[in-house]
Amino acid sequence: MLRTITPRNARVKRVLKNREAKTEENIKTAIFIRGSQTSQIVNDALADLYMLKKPHAVNFTKKNQIHPFEDHSNLQFFSQKNDASLFVIGTHSKKRPNTLTFARMFDHQLLDMMEVSIEKGTPMKDFKTPKSAIGMKPCFMFNGDMWDQNPHYIMFKSMILDFYHGQTVDKVALAGLEYVISVTSGPMTSEGKPGKIYLRTYTIVLKRSGVKLPRIELVEMGPSMDMTFGRMTEAKPDVWKQSLRVPKELKPKKKKNITKDVMGDTVGRIHMGRQDFDKIQTRKMKGLKKRTASTEEEGESGDKKQRVDDSDDEE
Amino acid sequence: MDVSGVLEAHKQKFKSVSVEGKVIPLEYDLGLLTAYDQNPIDEALLKKNKDEYLQSLSRDNAQLLFNEIFQLPTISDDNGVMAMLPTPTTLLPREKPLPKPKPETRWEKFAKAKGIVNRKKERMVFDDNTGEYKPRWGYKGINDDGSKDWIIEVPAGSNPMEDQYEARRDAKKERIDKNDKRRQRNMEEAAVASKMDQKTVNKGERPNMDNARSMKRKEIENQILISKSSTASVGKFDEAIKGDLKPKGIKRKFEPNVTADLSKEKAGNMSILDRVVGKNGEDLVNVRKAIKATKSRK
Repeated sequence: MLRTITPRNARVKRVLKNREAKTEENIKTAIFIRGSQTSQIVNDALADLYMLKKPHAVNFTKKNQIHPFEDHSNLQFFSQKNDASLFVIGTHSKKRPNTLTFARMFDHQLLDMMEVSIEKGTPMKDFKTPKSAIGMKPCFMFNGDMWDQNPHYIMFKSMILDFYHGQTVDKVALAGLEYVISVTSGPMTSEGKPGKIYLRTYTIVLKRSGVKLPRIELVEMGPSMDMTFGRMTEAKPDVWKQSLRVPKELKPKKKKNITKDVMGDTVGRIHMGRQDFDKIQTRKMKGLKKRTASTEEEGESGDKKQRVDDSDDEE
Repeated sequence: MDVSGVLEAHKQKFKSVSVEGKVIPLEYDLGLLTAYDQNPIDEALLKKNKDEYLQSLSRDNAQLLFNEIFQLPTISDDNGVMAMLPTPTTLLPREKPLPKPKPETRWEKFAKAKGIVNRKKERMVFDDNTGEYKPRWGYKGINDDGSKDWIIEVPAGSNPMEDQYEARRDAKKERIDKNDKRRQRNMEEAAVASKMDQKTVNKGERPNMDNARSMKRKEIENQILISKSSTASVGKFDEAIKGDLKPKGIKRKFEPNVTADLSKEKAGNMSILDRVVGKNGEDLVNVRKAIKATKSRK
């Protein structure tokens, strides 16, 4: 088990703080591991996937005795030590040739993993074409009707997106979209099992067209892999649900009390509090004042007159 | 002058940016720059020349995706033209759980109540004495406690024999200790506050103690009471200590010895019997297992 590190200087403290749970997370780091036996195809595939994932990737060059489907405690240790939550394990055996296992962690515990075996793979170095720069954000496309239906396909789609989408940003430079990863699902086998999937990577070339929108041409950059699905371990439903929770700060905020009327004008509602109309302070208009002083005067003069008359009467 | 002919000729020079033949329109998740094409794959073409077919299919979909991206609102930045992306619709799992909100420190509570807002201050401040800019805090800062002054005036009310340099050093030490105490207190209160939250989560009720210190005191008192009764004779024969805590709220209720209602007595006795012998004549001992165990022991 890893010992909990108490920071003794500011740099270590910063690193530990960076590794904590945050509302907006870091880009996931991936670890590329070789199993106890690998083949040329597997090595090439791992090298290519590593290059696409750089700089958020760690490459373990030595071979490890690792069998993820039997024992995934190694993965937990690697995940904690390197602060990585994505794994690609490449193995080759007679029973399962040229196999890549994609695994994901949540809170350093295994979330889900799946196995694909490479039928035919062409590495990047075999394509004598210009490659995109390291660390660029790719575009994705998933062709075929199986991507929403079969659990293998759903998980693979989620894995590829998770691995390579980089940072979730709210704006992207139009000139910075350099390459596209295209995954196509082949037809199902005659037994009704999932068929092959074809992964291709292309660089994007924008050409002039007569109109504002550019014409897209693709140049294959590699890697190119034809794969079939193997074993799969799905995530436990409660852990999966917990991993999908969005923090309150990142939820889209609803704007209340603003609507658009029929004419297209924006209309807002303002809520006033309760008003006590008797106690509202208004402007003072002297002419509208209650005539209390003048009525008194009249009454007094009237009385005086009475008294005079009386005295007159008495005399 | 008919310009449309010229325009047409101009357009013919370039390849088209529109893509036909997509029966089902593509779905886009522009937050992740993704396009989902549900149209069925042409298996014949796939078999014949796989790579060419895949490239042409990808090119068409990329064209459509880019057409969508270029329709987004853009802003001009130092990095060039940036397109504003919407939030992604595809849910991807996080790598770590949501952060737990840290309990507020005493100052944070006070500041919140008073409405004090933390305004960012400049690092460098102009020092009138030296006429140059110095950091507000830290190394060679202006509020350096003055222990490095070459001369210190003896303040009005103090002992003239006192060492003022030492006095300043002691004052700084005291301030550091006070700060440390406050930091410790904050950490304790945070620990108790987080424990309190757990308890209420388990019980489903709100605690009526706002003071973290008194919560901790209650915890300690509980622990003392538990330890008092953890002797061999359950604390009965211990000597009473002066000023010791008395356990509160423990009352023993005894039923009267002779009651008119004998059914209660019967029910009590029967429940004891059930627990000892077993209900309805069942054995509490699993006979088969007991036999096996004795056999294996032998």
